[in-house]
Amino acid sequence: MASSSAYPDADENLEAIITRIEQKSRKIETLLKQSKPVEALKTALEGSPLKTRDERCKSANWIVVHRAMMAIKDVDGMFNSLDPEYYDILMKYLYRGLSTGDRPTCDQCLKIHEKLTEKAGLGCILRSLADTANTV
Amino acid sequence: MALATFTILSLHLSWSLIFNSTGNFFSLPVIAFCPNNNELHIYKFIKDKWEKLHVLSKHDQIVSGIDWSRSSNKIVTVSHDRNSYVWTQEGSDWVPTLVILKLNRAALCVQWSPKENKFAVGSGAKSVCICYYEQENNWWISKVIRKRHESSVTSIAWHPNNIYLATTSTDGKCRVFSTFIKGVDTRGSQSSTPTDSKFGEQIAQLDLSSTWAFGVRWSPSGKTLAYAGHNSMIYFVDEVESAPAAQNLTLRDLPLRDVLFVSERMVIGVGFDCNPMIFAADQTGLWSFVRFLDERKATPSTSKASQLSEALGKLYGQSKQGTSSDTVEPSKPRGGAHENCITCIVPLTKGRDGTIKRFSTSGLDGKIVVWDLENHITVAK
Repeated sequence: MASSSAYPDADENLEAIITRIEQKSRKIETLLKQSKPVEALKTALEGSPLKTRDERCKSANWIVVHRAMMAIKDVDGMFNSLDPEYYDILMKYLYRGLSTGDRPTCDQCLKIHEKLTEKAGLGCILRSLADTANTV
Repeated sequence: MALATFTILSLHLSWSLIFNSTGNFFSLPVIAFCPNNNELHIYKFIKDKWEKLHVLSKHDQIVSGIDWSRSSNKIVTVSHDRNSYVWTQEGSDWVPTLVILKLNRAALCVQWSPKENKFAVGSGAKSVCICYYEQENNWWISKVIRKRHESSVTSIAWHPNNIYLATTSTDGKCRVFSTFIKGVDTRGSQSSTPTDSKFGEQIAQLDLSSTWAFGVRWSPSGKTLAYAGHNSMIYFVDEVESAPAAQNLTLRDLPLRDVLFVSERMVIGVGFDCNPMIFAADQTGLWSFVRFLDERKATPSTSKASQLSEALGKLYGQSKQGTSSDTVEPSKPRGGAHENCITCIVPLTKGRDGTIKRFSTSGLDGKIVVWDLENHITVAK
C-alpha cells in the first residue's frame, strides 16, 4: 500500500483537490482518445483524495475513476500492465462501484474483482474493507 | 522431507496457553491452558501420556490470558471477570493470590516482565495495568496507565530492559510506555534507558495501521518491534525510542493475530490463514515474506509426534483419526496442522545460539501444535 504521503490531500484545501481532479479528467480523456485505457485508469487512481471527509471530492474522483474503469475492455490485458501498487486503491473503487447497484457498473466491477482477487489475494480485499481512515 | 514435526492436542477451544519447558521439551513437558472457560488446566507428559495434574478454578469468567514465569515458576492468569491471580506452587498444589486490577472492563492479555518482578495486563478498559509485589504488605499492587489508549488493548510486550512496554490496541495504534516503578526498578541497571522516564510516560506512538492492531513483540535485543494489523499487514519498526523507521509489509492472504521473533532477523506470524508464516530480514535489514511454515506435503511421521498424538487421542477417548473429525468442524479441510484461526504463539526452547528452536501455537480449532524449527533456520540462512 502506498504510504499516506503519496496522497497529498491530507492538508490540501477542497478547491485545490477539485482543480486537481478536473485536470486529471482532461488528461484521461486525452489518453482514452489515444486508446490507452490502462494509462487512463492509472492516472485516475493516482492521487485519489483518501484522507478528506468531503463527499464532493470523493464523488468527483469516483466519476473520473468510473470513466476510466468502464473503458477497460480487456481485463486480463489490463493486469499485464497494471503495477501491484495500484491494487489496493483499485479494490476500494471496485467496492464503491458495486455499492452503486448500477447494472453495467457492477458487471464491470465484478469482472475486474475476480481477476484482481486472483492477482492480489484476499489480503487486498481486507485492506480495502478494514481501512476506515482512507476511504474512496 | 518433513520439515516440521508437530503434535496435536485435542482441546476444546483453547484461547491462550503457555508451556513451561525447562530442559528438554519432550522429556518432561508441562502445559497450562484454558479450555475456553473459567478454568486453567495443567497437564504433564508422563510416560507417553498426557496426564491432567491440576484444574485451577478461581476465576468467575473466561480466562483470557496466561503467562508462566520460567525462573520463578509462577503462573499469572487474567480473566474477563476483571481480576488476576498469581499462582505459586507449594508442594504439589498451586496457591492463588488475588491481584485487584482496578479495571471496569475485561482483562485481555498478560505478560511477565523479563525479570519477572512485574507483570503487565492489557484490558478492554482502554488501559494497561502494571502489577508488582510489595514485600511489606505481602500484596500485589496494580498501577494503571489510563491515558492514551482510545480502545481495548489487544496485546502487550516487554522490552528486554524490563522498563519499556509496547502495546497494540483496537484504535489501530502501537504505543510504547515507560513502566519505571520506584523501589522495584533501579535506575543504574539499564544503561540504555533514559533516566528521566517516569511511570506511564509514553515513549512512542506508531500510527501505521488504520484498523485494529494485534500481536506486538520485541526482537530479542529490543531493537526491532513487530506487530500486525487487521488489514493484512505486518509492521517492523526499528529504533522505536529515538527515530522510528517502519517497514510496512502487505500480506497476500488473511491477517495475522500474533507474531514471534525466533531470532533478530526472523519472525513467525500466525493468524487467520491457519498456517504460520515465516518472515525474514536480509543483510540490509529489509523484511520480506519467505513462505508458509506448514508444507502441505509434509507429514507428521516422526515417531515422537505420532506417539504423542496417539497418546492424546487415547486421553480424549478418540482414535488418532477421530481427533480431527470430532473437534470443531472446519469450514473447509485445509490439510494443515491447524484448521481454524491461530490465536497464540509461544516460544518453547532456545538453541545454543540463542534462537528459538521450538514453539507452540494454539488456535480456535482447539489444537495446540508444537513446531520444530531446526531445519528451517538452516534453510533460511
